[in-house]
Amino acid sequence: MVNIRLENITKKYGKTTVLDNVSLEIKDKEYLIILGPTGAGKTTLLKIIAGLIKPDSGKVYFDERDVTKLSPSERNIGFMFENYALFPHMNIFDNIAYSGRVHDRDPKKTATLVQQVLMMTLLTGRNNAYPDELSGGMKQRVALCRALMNLEQTKLLILDEPLKALDAGLRMSLRRELLLMAKSEYLQLTVIHVTNDEKEAMMLADRIAIINKGKINQVGTPYEIYFHPVNLFVAFFMSEINYFEGRCIKDIKPEWNIFKEPRKANQLFLRIHKNSMPMLIDIGAENRFAAYVRKELHEQIKHGDKILLIVRANHFKIRLGNRLKEKNNSFLGKIFRRKFMGVFYRFEVKVKIKDQEKLIIITIPATREIHKTFLENSEVTVYFPKELGIIFKHPGLDKINEVLKLE
Amino acid sequence: MINVPTIELKNVSKTFDEGKVLAVDNVSLKIEDGEYAFLLGPSGCGKTTTLRIIAGLEEPTEGKVLIDGKDVRGIPPEDRDMGFVFQHFEIFEHLTVWENVTFGLEMRGYSEEYIIQQAEKALKIVGLLEKANEYPSIFGNPGLQKLGIARAIATGAKILIMDEPLGSLDPKVSRVFRHELRNIVKDLKLTAIHVTHNQEEAMAIADKIIIMRAGKILQVGTPYELYENPNSIFVANFLGETNFLQGFVLKLFDDETMRVWIRLGGPKLNCRNVRNRFILDDNVVIAFRFEDVYLFPLDYDFEKSPYDWSKMQFFRAILESSRFIGDTKRFYLILDNGDRCVSVKPGSFEENFKLGEELIVAVHQDDIHVFKMPKNLIYELSLT
Repeated sequence: MVNIRLENITKKYGKTTVLDNVSLEIKDKEYLIILGPTGAGKTTLLKIIAGLIKPDSGKVYFDERDVTKLSPSERNIGFMFENYALFPHMNIFDNIAYSGRVHDRDPKKTATLVQQVLMMTLLTGRNNAYPDELSGGMKQRVALCRALMNLEQTKLLILDEPLKALDAGLRMSLRRELLLMAKSEYLQLTVIHVTNDEKEAMMLADRIAIINKGKINQVGTPYEIYFHPVNLFVAFFMSEINYFEGRCIKDIKPEWNIFKEPRKANQLFLRIHKNSMPMLIDIGAENRFAAYVRKELHEQIKHGDKILLIVRANHFKIRLGNRLKEKNNSFLGKIFRRKFMGVFYRFEVKVKIKDQEKLIIITIPATREIHKTFLENSEVTVYFPKELGIIFKHPGLDKINEVLKLE
Repeated sequence: MINVPTIELKNVSKTFDEGKVLAVDNVSLKIEDGEYAFLLGPSGCGKTTTLRIIAGLEEPTEGKVLIDGKDVRGIPPEDRDMGFVFQHFEIFEHLTVWENVTFGLEMRGYSEEYIIQQAEKALKIVGLLEKANEYPSIFGNPGLQKLGIARAIATGAKILIMDEPLGSLDPKVSRVFRHELRNIVKDLKLTAIHVTHNQEEAMAIADKIIIMRAGKILQVGTPYELYENPNSIFVANFLGETNFLQGFVLKLFDDETMRVWIRLGGPKLNCRNVRNRFILDDNVVIAFRFEDVYLFPLDYDFEKSPYDWSKMQFFRAILESSRFIGDTKRFYLILDNGDRCVSVKPGSFEENFKLGEELIVAVHQDDIHVFKMPKNLIYELSLT
């Protein structure tokens, strides 16, 4: 049983602030993913939790116990780092039993424990194999076994990019295994897992903490993070997006009649919009536009203020021909590029907004129908349900470039 | 004019360690002018060796490499009219962005005018022209690889050789950048060969994918062809996410369809029997994509729906768990016979399913692929 609490953690290396006043709580039996780009401070945060690095300021609590000054071995944590670090000259049994020896445990007890973790990870019978005789997936499981040996009391497992070194195909199948193992009735682990892969985070996490440039931007369930990003960075990081600059229109009432279409309040949209409100906006296109904005922002944004509209590529819908009259939140354009990607088709649709050409990215489930009819140069109307448009205060062009430009 | 493929390999083999290791095993392939081709396969499948043979970094032990119809044996890489992009960029840290791009051109003795024109064009295409006088140390990995690409295209070579060019980028960055990379190659009408182990990347970029395993080519086709008609269990499993169930042929019909009974008293499903490959009692593995699995509550009124259900195959399963992963949502199911399958729906798919609930599962018979039971199913299903 362990609840972990980080309070105002700051860590600097020279002039570089790696972690900037980070607070985070990890609940018992939770699978928490720390997600962020390379250099965000993820691994440093993990090492501070493990006790491998001491913070410059701030505290680490395990339950209510202040462990900030305790060494890693006093914290009872299972670690698994990116490169597995298996000993090539030792067989699987010895690799796993090694920590028992270091800790001077009873060898018989160690042996029993090894057999237990081998069973849990479906490696029973491979005791005598050497690491180079194992597949990538098996090595990963051995490394995990070794981490599990340390979990006597806390059952806290710390994983630093555990799947990074694997082939993409293997990585996908092992994610599921990892989750099943962590949630299995024997183990019921609390897991803190660092990754830079947003798909991996969504697959595994109960909650995701998104960190960028040493700061935690948002903590939430995959659902919250995806539908309610707090800023452009979080929105962009979770999937492909389109953005539009515009202005808020507030002098039309009542706002709930925006577009007047009687939309059945279904569960998904209700859940999405617990904390949001609709807002009419002008993005310079000929049609009317509306989308949703967080309640607290809704009050702050005044009529005429600059806003940023975000629409995820897979929240756009596409129809052949000119449907501008039937659909609000719509653009008329031409399919400029199309690419089959397996589950999805990806279209780049060229539209005109105020005489400026813009490419809108759209991904839609690939069907035979789409394959045959949505061809390059087809005239199409693209639109999105207002419930899936996200409005932020305009953060300024520099900020937009900083987030979206890859250099 | 006869259309000669830009690159052609004829029965190419490559052995290492005095013939003990067969890295490439009798590979023949064609890459047409202007085609963006991928060599795709798990680690150790021979894809990188094949690329190195095309590039002239290795000579084949047997077979021929033809570029524009001419045998290039003995011609060194720098004389093969190719630009190279590497996984780890190979950028000169002590040269400016501009100098990194112009260095190779100067070595080749081009006129100054031409060099300036090519370097400007290339840097503009990748969006780094404004950074021309900076040193590469200002960049992270994405910027370095943009520079790597600028350097390769500045040579004016019409073939681009890329070995895991997105392999050093963060997954998020590579998911964004891959579309830019494809657009650059297509806009310049280059012929490109790109090596990767990442099937998602190959599907997103490629015109043509060459799938390799254990030194051999398994299948060649457009992403659409490979995805819709995989020729083996391995390919079906390697590209995309696929459910596999085992069974045997129960009945044959006249119209190239048949009925398969899933093992251990599982469901009976109609499947296509293309070219009448199967006979009664054949042991088979059926495969269908996660996203081709539809789910309905038990009380769903199919008669009210306008959809034609006649070719849908129905069975029941218990919903074990589900996960929302953003663009998609997955449902993990257990069939009556204990087999498992997964359904993938768009992330905005609305449902009220409860865990443990019994559901109706539907798959269109044309979406079910059938394969002969292989000798070693575990090997066929392993991704390495």
